[in-house]
Parts: sequence; structure tokens; C-alpha cells
Amino acid sequence: MDASVKSHFTGHEAPAPTKASVFWRPTAKTGLMSWLTTVDHKKIGFLYGIFALFFFLVGGIEALLIRLQLALPNNDVLTAQQYNTMFTMHGTTMIFLAVMPLSAAFFNYIMPLQIGARDVAFPRLNAFSLWTFVAGAIIINLGWFMQDGPPDGSWVGYAPLTSKTFNPDHSIDMWVMGLQLLGVASIAASLNFIVTIINLRAPGMTMMRVPVFTWMTLVTAFLIVLSFPAITIALVEVMMDRLFGTNFFEVSNGGMPVLWQHLFWVFGHPEVYILILPAMGIVSEILPTFARKPLFGYPIVVFSGACIGFLGFAVWSHHMFTTGMGTVATAAFSLATMAIAVPTGVKIFNWIGTLWGGHLMMRTPMMFALGFVWMFMMGGFSGVMHAAAPADAQQQDSYFVIAHFHYVLIGGSIFALLAGLHYWFPLMFGRKVSEFWGKLSFWVIFAGFNITFFPMHFLGLNGMPRRTFTYDANLGWNTANFIATIGAFILGLGILIYFIVMTYTYFKGEKVKKDYWDGRTLEWSIPNPPPEYNFAVTPTVHARDAWWYEKHHQEEVAKEKAEHAKEDAAHGGIHMPFQSVYPLVTSIGILIGAIGVSVIDHGHKLPVALTGAAIMLAGIYLWAMEGNEGYHIHADEEDSHK
Amino acid sequence: MRLSYLLPGLGRWGRAALALGGLAVLPGCDFNFWRMDGHQTTMVAAGPVAKAQLDVFYVTCWVTLVIFILVGAVLAYATFKFKARSDADEHAEPPEQSHGNPLIELGLIGASIFALVLIAIPTLKGIWYTYEPPAEQKENIYEVTATGYQWWFKFEYPKEQIDGVGPLVTGNELVIPAGRPVVIQLRTVDVIHSFWVPKLAGKVDMIPNRGNHLWLQADEPGYFWGQCAEYCGDSHAVMRFRVIALSEKDFADWVAGQKQTARTVAAQTASAEGAKVQFASFKRNEYGYTDKWAADAQVSPLDNWKQQQFPAKDENPALIAQGRKLFNEKTCTGCHTVRGHEGIGITGPDLTHIGARTTIAGGLLENNHDQMARWLAHPDVVKPGNKMYVTGYVPNNIKLTDADVSALVAYLESLK
Repeated sequence: MDASVKSHFTGHEAPAPTKASVFWRPTAKTGLMSWLTTVDHKKIGFLYGIFALFFFLVGGIEALLIRLQLALPNNDVLTAQQYNTMFTMHGTTMIFLAVMPLSAAFFNYIMPLQIGARDVAFPRLNAFSLWTFVAGAIIINLGWFMQDGPPDGSWVGYAPLTSKTFNPDHSIDMWVMGLQLLGVASIAASLNFIVTIINLRAPGMTMMRVPVFTWMTLVTAFLIVLSFPAITIALVEVMMDRLFGTNFFEVSNGGMPVLWQHLFWVFGHPEVYILILPAMGIVSEILPTFARKPLFGYPIVVFSGACIGFLGFAVWSHHMFTTGMGTVATAAFSLATMAIAVPTGVKIFNWIGTLWGGHLMMRTPMMFALGFVWMFMMGGFSGVMHAAAPADAQQQDSYFVIAHFHYVLIGGSIFALLAGLHYWFPLMFGRKVSEFWGKLSFWVIFAGFNITFFPMHFLGLNGMPRRTFTYDANLGWNTANFIATIGAFILGLGILIYFIVMTYTYFKGEKVKKDYWDGRTLEWSIPNPPPEYNFAVTPTVHARDAWWYEKHHQEEVAKEKAEHAKEDAAHGGIHMPFQSVYPLVTSIGILIGAIGVSVIDHGHKLPVALTGAAIMLAGIYLWAMEGNEGYHIHADEEDSHK
Repeated sequence: MRLSYLLPGLGRWGRAALALGGLAVLPGCDFNFWRMDGHQTTMVAAGPVAKAQLDVFYVTCWVTLVIFILVGAVLAYATFKFKARSDADEHAEPPEQSHGNPLIELGLIGASIFALVLIAIPTLKGIWYTYEPPAEQKENIYEVTATGYQWWFKFEYPKEQIDGVGPLVTGNELVIPAGRPVVIQLRTVDVIHSFWVPKLAGKVDMIPNRGNHLWLQADEPGYFWGQCAEYCGDSHAVMRFRVIALSEKDFADWVAGQKQTARTVAAQTASAEGAKVQFASFKRNEYGYTDKWAADAQVSPLDNWKQQQFPAKDENPALIAQGRKLFNEKTCTGCHTVRGHEGIGITGPDLTHIGARTTIAGGLLENNHDQMARWLAHPDVVKPGNKMYVTGYVPNNIKLTDADVSALVAYLESLK
């Protein structure tokens, strides 16, 4: 934060903005404007969470429709086209609009608190990431309200099915543009997180004292920054093929459809770890807290996380074992994939080691976290089965794969994210969730999830291919499909209970004091809900579990805090950045431009696209010119600023 | 973990009701899915390639199952053993703040690597074995080319040349000799498809601008279910096919028969006038392949296929002749070949011997009069987006009256 404190801010009073009106900085602390122009990482995190949960419900409804259609053989709930749309949107929504932004919500909200920072390094860029994500989500979902309908090329969008020849309407254009915008949002956010974690850690917080969740944020951010360029290239190529008649994937002109698969999976496999590493980070926070002892083998957990991220770039072709890569390539990717089981297994061992000898408090977050460990193990083992390429030749694109990745993504990612929501809820909103309802929702979700997806292993081995809108009754798939559908509705009920309880708690829940769970990391050292400046005094870190250390060395820490407070006062109190409208303006420009490129019919594209580009450029220019100014807050007299 | 602790407040009766509710669902279900013995199962190998793949699967299955039991037991034990039993327990002095043990870590990493080596060795063997037929079998290989179309499969037999025409071509039912390795060249004319006959071999994709192949072998004569395994557009789910493995002699007979031009039924005195056959009606997406022959006649699918090779006894030559005329008039000939008759098109399946196949519409419907009529009358309902109804995005507007359908069905079913 020091870098942005300019010399003319040393006065104790917050200077009123005096620039030209175009550089007007909104100051509203409540109301719509405060949310639209916010640069506060906590508000941005909250918004990410709200959007993610909304799309999580949308994706869930899509999933229930899919299960309804498959409940019976030769069922007639959806037409073939509707079904294909549904699984395309379910995959795209859950991955890009639900799990990723929900992880991003935690990165935004929790990570700065864990490292003792007052915000992320680039608060306005953070707002830009949020609004660009929203723009991408809008574009992807526009098809629901249009005649062309939503995309139906599946979430992997294999060429040449996405080409103009086989998919002439705008739905694929929207899918392509939407993903591009999400890529922009994700890369901007990730660069922000990387800079934040590397530069804004509280004094004394060496890299090997950084909480595991923050470590996983860092690894995930690097994965995003390095993997999204691959899909960006692939999407640009599809877009050029569709808009300008180029021949990257156009078979009749020598295009290579298999190239799409390589580019997609060079992104797509790291993407899998982008979805699971934050979850592992959350679980690595929850287990120590509720076992009341430090994480077992912290350095190895961190190293194995980084290792998974690194190896994640070397295994993409295991999604392509059936594309006829030849023996040597298949063998190499097969072995590399098996190698990933080692660092993943290490994490499981260390989580069990964390439990060993602890005093386990069986609260709801702990239940979800333990559920995660069990379900992730199951998903991991079926993953090893896929790694064996000859076995995978039978499993690829069958329901066995569906079972596998839902065990990893629901049993893994979603369980951990739900655990995290429960865990940090008292911190974010100062209220605690009912244990009874929390546990009830856990057991309903746990049961529903297993009833849905466990039979799918059998379906896959019994030869049922995925992405099929119908099946015949003579193939032995009826019972398992019927059970899976029942399970899906139980799972849906569990999720419903969970969110009703959360919503109720948000408004009416019992208020709690700070550090509700007797936490170990810095986010628990501040009042709840956290003040906008987070830490009245920047903490000094002496140990890995910094807050746990503080709680057990109170005198020493009090002395340090007094000194830090003096330093803050010397340069005018706590420096806070002004809010800004320009990230939003820039994102709106991008949204309009993307609509121009993807939705508008040929012939009218250019004016709309150029309007969007102009708004975007104006937004960026004004954003740059308005400066990174801010104001000061004095923690002891903060009320006067509210 | 005591249920009462996890669901406090539900009470004993509440929990009992919950358990009973769970049990009540069970009797209605037939739990045969554990057996995994369907027509399209991967768990029953009918040839060496599927067998090799299944063996690797079992290795991975057993190794991971043992690890799961070991790790799961420790996890469960730790959860029960160290659970705080009371409020006082939770607020007692925190346990020892230990940070880990490098020796345990190294030991477990070593054990994991050992387990993976156990899996890796058969995996590597399997990769090489399933890629190409064994060298000593090279002489014996039979070659076929399979081509994916939206949404059906074309099969060509480069070894079976027909004078003046080219290789023997058939569609949706691949007939192969049993007991010999068959190398299948995989091609596609449009999007990516995937060739999958689970009982014979795992899938390999058909990718544009890429020459893939797979090999498989049926140890015994048999009738096998297959399906496209790569999402390929609207009707991907109904892009199915069959593989029929025949003994060496049967196969030779079949090839000889297939090489013949289409069967012509001599016109007799019977009249086609007013011959409007009543066909069954179908709902959208109604089941098209019923296994009815099995229940009716207790015959194996293979015997059913063999019976399909013989002409029906109640043919109406006049109706057939009219069907043949309509086949030309309604432009069917533009896309379909009927060798020896009028058809010359190559974008649709070769229909020279369609009457002798057990399935139509890409392995989707049973080949009988009712289903053939359903397919001809409502191709868009049976197979959404298919090119018999629509070319590109423009409907073909081929209008067929019920009488037309009757005649066409009679003609097509006569093409044994």
C-alpha cells in the first residue's frame, strides 16, 4: 500500500476531489452506486459470490432437466436440440460461471485478509475483472432470449462442429465471445492476485508462512495466466473461421480440427486444477482449524500444490487418448498423468495427518471438508483408471467419465466451496449458521450426490456414451439412470436447503463475536463483518498460523501494534483508494463490442463493435487519467467517516 | 459417527422414518445394473483387444480399491478416534501443535509410486498391444474402412472389389470374419465421430484430415452393438451401428451375396392399386429396437440376423415395382445407391441390400415394415436434423403420401 501513498496525502484530512467533473470520484458507501463503483475487495468478492451462486442455480436447473430427460429410456421431456443445448450450457455455466467465480469470490474476499493486506494491489483492475466477468456471462446466456438459442457445441466445442458449416447461427459466436471475455476477466484478476500475494504480505509473512489457501490462490492465478492464452488463441481461430472465412479448422481447405483439441486441452487440463486447487486450499484451512492443530506437513502440502499445477501442463493429451496419437505419445501422457497421483495422494495423507491427534470439532464446515476428502479420493481413484490409456479407450466419453469428474468437481470443488462459505460466513457477515440445518443440508447433499453419480460408474462400464439425449431400454441402463435422476433431485433439495439456510442466516442469523471458530490465520483477527480498511493496524507475522501465535503471545503483539499504529498515523492514517466508475464503463464498452461481434447480423456488426470499442478505449483512458488517488481513515475515529 | 450427533433434534422416530423412506424406494427397482452385462457392456470381452483393455481396467480397479480401503480405514479411524465428544472436550487445552513428520511423508510417497508402477507396467503393455495386431497375425489381417457421416456409418471392403464398380460398400452393419484380426481404417466426411463396439474394442475417433485406425477381433461369431462415442451434433445419441462376426464360410457366402446387384422381383399379375398398408403409429422418440424377435422366437441376435437374409414370403411384386419407380421419382436416387437399379447417389447409405439388414436409420430402428414406414414418413422426428429431411438448413420438401410410403417400404424390404 505504501507505494501508492503520495506525499500530498500526508495531511490528516481526506482531500475533496477537485479535478474536472469527468474525473468525478463517487463516494457513496451504500446504495446501487456504491456497488457499481466499488473497489473494495470484500464488496467485489461478495458480488462475485452472488453472481456465481446465481449461475450455480441456473446450471443446477439445467442439470435437473438433463436428468429428467434421462430418467426413462426414450423419454420425451426435451428434444434432441434442447438436450444438446442443456448439457452444453450446464458444462459451460458450472465451470466458467459458477465454480471459477465462486473460487474468485474467496480469492477476493479472503486472500487479502489472510496476508494482512488492506486490499488487492490494483483495486480498480479488480472491479474491471468483476464487470468483465459479468459481461462474459451475459453474452454466453444471451441465446436463451434469442431465436438462435444458446450454444449446443458442448463445453469443449470440438471443431469442426463449431464451424459455420455445421453451426451457422449466432449461438457459437456468443459462446466464443463470452469465453473470450471470461478469459480477459480471469487473467486480469489473476495478475492482480499474483502481484498482491507477492508484494502486499504483512511484515514477517515469508512465503513459507503464507496460509495454504493463499498459496493455492497464487498457484491457481499462475495456472490461469499461463493456460488461458491457449484457449484465447483457439477461440480467436474459431472466431476468424466463422467471421472472416479463415481455414484454421475448415476441413475442406486443409484445416486441422485436431489442433483445436490440443489448444483446448492445453488450457482445459490446467483448468481442472484451477477448479480444484482453491478447493484444496479451503480444506487445508478448515481441517487444521477444526482439528485445533497445524496442518500436517505444511511445506509438502504447498509444494505438492505447486507440483500439481506444474504437472497439470504436461498431461493435456490424456483427454485425447482416443484421437489416435500413436503409442509413444499415449504412453508418455499416460505416465505423466499417473505421476500427478503422487502429489495429490500426498495431500490426502497430510489431511489425515492433520486430523491425527487433534480435537476434532464436528461442525458443518468440517463435515463438508471431510466429505470432500472422501469424495475427492473416489474421484482421484477413477482418475487413475483413466490414466491407464487402454482402459480409458473404453471409458472415454462414457458415463464413467461423467461419474469421475462429478466426483472431483462436486464432491471436490463444490463441497469445499460450500464448506468455505459456511466457514467464513461468521467472518463475512457476523452471523452464524444453524448447526442443525447446516448438517442436515450436508447429509442431504452428500446422499443425493452419491445416489446420482455412483450408479454412473456402472452406466459407463455398461457402455452408455455421454452427451446422448436418449437411450434404448434393452441395454441395461434403465435402473441406474432412474436412480441417478432420483439422486439428482435429492441433491437439488440439499442445495436448496443450504441456500435457504444461508439466506435466512444472512438476515436473521444469530450474531457472533469475532474469531467464531477459534481460527488460526489472520482473517480471524479482525472484527466481523470486517471494516473496509480490514486491519486497523497492519499485523506483524511471527509464525505460520499468525493469529494463533498472536492469541498465545498477546503482550509481545500489543507492543508491536502500538508501534505500527504510530507509523500509520505519521503518514496520515489508513490510506484508502477512491471508488471509480471507469472499470464499469470499460466493461460495458467490452460488452457492447462483444455483442456487436457475436450477436448482431452480418452487415450491422461494425458500427456496434466500433461503438463498444470506443466506449472501452474512453473508459481505459479516463481510468488512467483519473489517477490512483485516495483518502485516509483513522481506525479509532472511523465512525465519523461512515 | 452417531447419527444422533449429526442430526440432533430429529429424534429417534424421525430417523426411523427417514430410513424407512429410503427403503420404500428399493422394491420398485431392478438392481441388475450391478451386473453390467448389457449388449454394449465393456465388462464382457468378446475379443483380444477388449480383453486386454478389460485386464488393464481390473488392475487399476484392484490396486486403487486396496489403497482406498487402507487410506479410508485410517481416515475413518482418525475421524472417530479424535472426535471431540463433548463441549468440554472442544474447549479443553488445544492438542499438541505438531507440524508433520518427513519420514512418514517419504514413506507414503514411496508407497504411492510403487502402486503406480504396478499400474504402469500393464498399461504400457496394453498401449502397444491394442495399437496393432500381433506380428504373427499379420498374414491373417482383414481390412475394412469405416467412414462416419452425420449420423450413420459407411463400411467399405477394399479386398472385395466388384468389377467396374469398386469396393463393396455397405452401411450401419459391419460384417466381419470371426477369429481374424480386423484392421478398420477410420475416416469421416464431416465432423468428428468415434467408432465404439465395447465388447470388441475401445473407441478410436474418426477425425477429419487424419487417418486413424483400430484393430479388433471377434473370437466367435456373434452380433455386437456399437455406437458413436463423440458428440457429433443433433442426432449423436441415435448414431448407432452393429458388428456381425461370421464364421469364415458364412462370411464368404455373405460377401458373394453382397457383390450381387440388387434383387429384382419379377412383376406378376397382382395389382398395386389401392394397396395402402396400415402401419403402426409412433410417438416422438419412441423405442425403435425392441428385441421382440428374442422374446417371440427364442433366437439369438445372430440367428435373427441370418433369418433377415432371406426374402419375405408375402411380397407384392406390383407394389414393389411401384416402389422402385417412386424411389426414382422422389429423388431418393440422388443420395442412395441401389446397385443394378436406378440409385447412384453416394451421400446416403448404400441400399443395395438394405432388406437384409436387421436395423435401419443408423442402427436405430428394427428393420421391419412399421419402422421403415416410420422412418420414411417422419425422418426429422426419428433423427432430428438428418439429411433425408433437410440439406443444410433447408428442408428437402419431399412429399410422400401413405400409398407412396407403402410402395417404398415394399421395395426397400425386397432388397435382400
